[in-house]
Amino acid sequence: MTETKTSAKQRIDRRKRHKRLMYGSLAVGLVGIVAGSFLGQYLAGVLIYWGGFFGMLAIWQFSPVTLYDERDVALERKASDYTLGVLAIAGVLGIPGLVALETAGVLTLPAAFDGAALLFVGIFATFAVIYTGLRLRA
Amino acid sequence: MKNNLRERREQAGESQGDLAVAVDVSRQSINAIERGRYDPSLELAFKLARHYDCAIEAIFDPELAD
Repeated sequence: MTETKTSAKQRIDRRKRHKRLMYGSLAVGLVGIVAGSFLGQYLAGVLIYWGGFFGMLAIWQFSPVTLYDERDVALERKASDYTLGVLAIAGVLGIPGLVALETAGVLTLPAAFDGAALLFVGIFATFAVIYTGLRLRA
Repeated sequence: MKNNLRERREQAGESQGDLAVAVDVSRQSINAIERGRYDPSLELAFKLARHYDCAIEAIFDPELAD
């Protein structure tokens, strides 16, 4: 095996190791918050969760090797597009439809509906702001 | 976009894993490119062409697009 091949192999091994560490850190955080809830130690659970989450972010951002290749990024982008598309269709059709059904006395919407509708508007308002910012920079 | 990456790789006696290591992507990405399910970025296309010491259009053919 040539020296170039060896260093490339080392890079791949390092990428695998750092990915495992990243997911491990997140898993510790999730286990921490669940365990904290069960044991009544909410604050400790949240602190472990934050630690795990920020650990994951730190490994992702500061790893000297690229952890995700361009296809991973493209797939993630496509999944985000589809998610926004599904949310848009569900929200644009669903929210007015449900309000109309409630107005007609067909059903009673739960109190959480207002919060969910607000969250929906917030997601798309955030999208609009980010999109506009990117467009101005492009 | 159609390509002849699999033929070139097999001619060179390389596995998908070997090629993935050489151009610094995952083996799954090489597999997806060979099957025409993923079009690589210009940067990766250049890396592949450089690896096989040929022009990009010797590997990728836009005229053969599905």
